[in-house]
Amino acid sequence: MSKAMLIDTTRCIGCRACQVACKSWHNLPGERTEFSDTWTNPKFLDSNNYTRIIFKEIDKPGGQLSWHFISRRCMHCNDPACASVCPVGALQKLENGPVVYDDARCIGCRYCMMACPFQVPKFEWGSAVPLVRKCDFCADRIAINLAPSCATACPSEALLFGDRNALLKEAHRRIGAHPAKYYPEVYGEKTVGGTSKLYLTAVSFDELGLTHQGFRTDLGNIPYGIYGREWMSKVPWIALTVGGLAVGLHYFNQRRAEVQSQKSQESQEGKED
Amino acid sequence: MASLGPTFGRGAMTNHWNDIANSDCVLIIGCNPAENHPISFRWITKAMDKGAKLIVVDPRFTRSAAKADLFVRLRPGTDIALMGGFINYILENNLHQKDYVANYTNAAFLVSKDFEFHDGLFSGYDKGKRAYDAATWSYELDAEKKPVTDPTLSNPRCIFQLMKHFYARYTPEMVEAVTGVPKKQFLAMAATFAATGEPGKAGTLLYAMGGTQHSTGVQIIRSYTIVQQLLGNMGLPGGGINALRGENNVQGSTDMALLFNIVPGYMAIPSEAAHPTLKDYLDKETPKASFWINKPKFFVSLLKAFWGDAATPANSFAYDYLPKIGKGYQGAGYSWIPLFESMGDGGIKGLLIWGMNPAVSSPNLNQAYGALAKLDWLAAFDLWETDTAQFWKRPGAKTKDIKTEVFLFPAADSLEKEGSVSNSGRWLQWRYQAVKPHGDAQSDLWYANRLGLELKKLYKADPKAVFPDPIVNLNWNYGDTPDVHLVAKEVNGYTVADKKQVLNFLGLKDDGSTACGCWIYSGSYPGPDKKNNLMARRDKKDPSGLMLYPTWAWAWPVNRRIIYNRCSLDPQGQPWNKDKAMFHWDPVAKTWKNLDVPDFKWIDPATKAHFGPEESAKAPFLMLPEGKSRLFVPGGACKEGPFPEHYEALECPYVNPMSAQQSNPVMKVWKSELDRVAQICDPKYPVIATTFRVTEHWQAGAMTRNLTWQAEMVPEMFVEMSPSLAKAKGVNPGDWVRVKSVRGEVLARANVTRRVAPFCCGKAGFANTVEMVALPWHFGFAGLITGGPDSRQNYAANQLAPMVGDANTMIPEYKVFLVDVQKV
Repeated sequence: MSKAMLIDTTRCIGCRACQVACKSWHNLPGERTEFSDTWTNPKFLDSNNYTRIIFKEIDKPGGQLSWHFISRRCMHCNDPACASVCPVGALQKLENGPVVYDDARCIGCRYCMMACPFQVPKFEWGSAVPLVRKCDFCADRIAINLAPSCATACPSEALLFGDRNALLKEAHRRIGAHPAKYYPEVYGEKTVGGTSKLYLTAVSFDELGLTHQGFRTDLGNIPYGIYGREWMSKVPWIALTVGGLAVGLHYFNQRRAEVQSQKSQESQEGKED
Repeated sequence: MASLGPTFGRGAMTNHWNDIANSDCVLIIGCNPAENHPISFRWITKAMDKGAKLIVVDPRFTRSAAKADLFVRLRPGTDIALMGGFINYILENNLHQKDYVANYTNAAFLVSKDFEFHDGLFSGYDKGKRAYDAATWSYELDAEKKPVTDPTLSNPRCIFQLMKHFYARYTPEMVEAVTGVPKKQFLAMAATFAATGEPGKAGTLLYAMGGTQHSTGVQIIRSYTIVQQLLGNMGLPGGGINALRGENNVQGSTDMALLFNIVPGYMAIPSEAAHPTLKDYLDKETPKASFWINKPKFFVSLLKAFWGDAATPANSFAYDYLPKIGKGYQGAGYSWIPLFESMGDGGIKGLLIWGMNPAVSSPNLNQAYGALAKLDWLAAFDLWETDTAQFWKRPGAKTKDIKTEVFLFPAADSLEKEGSVSNSGRWLQWRYQAVKPHGDAQSDLWYANRLGLELKKLYKADPKAVFPDPIVNLNWNYGDTPDVHLVAKEVNGYTVADKKQVLNFLGLKDDGSTACGCWIYSGSYPGPDKKNNLMARRDKKDPSGLMLYPTWAWAWPVNRRIIYNRCSLDPQGQPWNKDKAMFHWDPVAKTWKNLDVPDFKWIDPATKAHFGPEESAKAPFLMLPEGKSRLFVPGGACKEGPFPEHYEALECPYVNPMSAQQSNPVMKVWKSELDRVAQICDPKYPVIATTFRVTEHWQAGAMTRNLTWQAEMVPEMFVEMSPSLAKAKGVNPGDWVRVKSVRGEVLARANVTRRVAPFCCGKAGFANTVEMVALPWHFGFAGLITGGPDSRQNYAANQLAPMVGDANTMIPEYKVFLVDVQKV
């Protein structure tokens, strides 16, 4: 049975217990940050931040203020682009939901980062032997029948963990019962062929202004894994001819990794805020 | 607590956290539970799932406001005007719960003919003393000295009519002029919450420091209580008036008398002038009626717990050992402000600081630092070296002139020790030690025990010791390494002769045969073994289905989950709401079936016969002599008057539109050189300031500014300001700005947001617009993060706040003062 999480942002109180619980379970360091005008902090997902709450103030029709708290993390696609492009199978969609990553297999090509339509996988730019990092849906906890740490910490049940089908049913029940409260679509139900993170919001991500911050609404319903496999299937045919080129590409990538310092990464990603 | 006690009889949250889920309407005023009590929002959200409405009243658009059905932006410090308007709305529109008001409140009581109110002042005011003679604030008594009542509520001198007349001045237009709340919005709020006045409906009111930290704090809470009484919302599942305590054991600390004016169990601390002998104390402090007639049993048992065999009938149970109030600063006792005033005057020489950080949390910090520097010694018990432990090397300190010797003791944190925690809902929950204390750390109990043993030894050995008896004779037998169970058992109480635990406070005596450390906790540990520790119960059974969980932990008093619960029934004993019944009266069998512990007279302890509902309908509030809750507080128990009247904060940009009396007429104003306040409508300080907390930091910040996971979320001091103020001051988002009051200044980064907005208030014809800024008070100068990048800066917001206190509790006015804002 595939597990999922229903993220009902209308119930989120922005307390960020999920951020702390995630860092606690994954033993991630807290960082030196600066004041954030929106209160969103840290300002982007990176190899030390797998999840964060985006604070968004918008005006309701009529000029009233509304304040939304949107949990951002890996969507755990049903047919993930990241896994489909990984040449060594380091990324894998588990039957029970999580998209997990095997440190030992990764060769650091970062195709996954380019392929992900949600800009989720992050590279350990500061590390000598960098690996890819992202939310792992607490696969280790799920394996022993525990809910993910973020959902366990959430006081207002904004993060509901359970079976995907049951959660979808519940999501539609809520929309039906409170049509004025919810935008009538479940983000992740069909997006990119469906994901294990399912979002309920008060208004659309377009209206929230978050389409460039990890919640694109133009992705369509076709699984991105299909595109990845199509592309990757050509690899063996041209492997020989490209063999030499691949070596070059390796050095090219390495060079790029050096150039693309942590700083430029921050400024680019900072726009996500 | 100083409002709830005189109104209902006990100073505590009436219901409990889970119970909020039973509510039909939640009114949040003067608190911000989504941020400061996030777990409570679990229950608020559950109530909303079942259709409850959420109203949030706050000067700021908070994370709680983001979840509300209705957000009402209130000018800080004007709660009484808003509630006064609400009371007027309820009475004008006849929306009060009639049976409830007539039977369970003192609405029908007649008031003395001499009671008057004129232009902001009640009868009996003495301008010179800044105090009232409350003689006229009394019930009219008949020949038998019993209060005269008019059950029809029509006599013009009955409290109901007096109240109606009093609050008629609080029209919706006046509400708008004082509070800045538009009439339409006020009416929407009033209509939504007043709907809970219908019998069978329950509305809960949640408040915290946003209500209390004002020079009119006690009367602000009083105004909340009047609304809840009129709407019949007391004693019901999903109702009540609920003071959300800011820390998980603050309720426990006040229960155990970490307040200047009480001894454990909410009994007044004896006063030197009024109570020279035990007899004086017991005669004057024991009412003639109400459950408090048992006070001598509780008080004498407390003295026996303190001094054991040294407390004998011959020496009035060592009453002379007990410190008396009266020697305190200006005779007022040592509440927060007088403590610091006294330290500043050289009166108090040494200070023990346990898990507190006054170098960040005290008002008028520069004055507080000066006071700390006058001490001979300061001992801090904490997890970290706090701002207070480092006050002598704070930015700008002249360290070489500070002679205070500072000791730092590493304390065990809550997971490193065993003991009970009393939560806001009066539940005592036992906690176990998860890990051994880190390094040399010890529990607070260990330190207190060691200190007690050491003092006893020193006083015994010193032939020149002044009055050594209270310490030498102290009953202090918890072992070298103290056993927390021994403490808990003493708190529960025991019979002295055979050291048997008492079952509850009904077993206590006033003849010295019993000892009890805190009578309201009596019953929490009624037997000798660890299995008798009821605080450790973890049974999730809920027979009522109302989330009372009677066998989970233990609640004071006597495991009662909802206090004043007689009010959940009509006078005939039938529940107002049959779906949420806690008690069933069988009129045929003439017996009660109880799902909570009754807070009313239901059984004769001698014959075990059950009393009918008519008996308990006479006195649903057992702790008050008249047995009814008080719309009107007689006898000066609330020093500003029997009805809450709106006055402006001491520092205020508006002339009071309600009366010629600008500010609280009995507020304590301190006169030292450092007690500076801005003028009314001071042109140098044209902006209102208020302070607040965020989820990510904890109180004065020592615990969270030293944790990277917390620090990264809110790393720097900031000030919320409206886009219009930012524009006027040429400030861009994120700029560093200087916020200045007449007492000090602080640097903060500009958080330009529509979550704060200017207020347009004032008398008709004199209305003007005033901006407001809001500052979190978590930051300081010590720890992993201080609030900014400059180590020479102190980022504590309370450098701005005034040392001025409410007349009853001396709680400082942190929530309204005047500032100016400049771009750095």
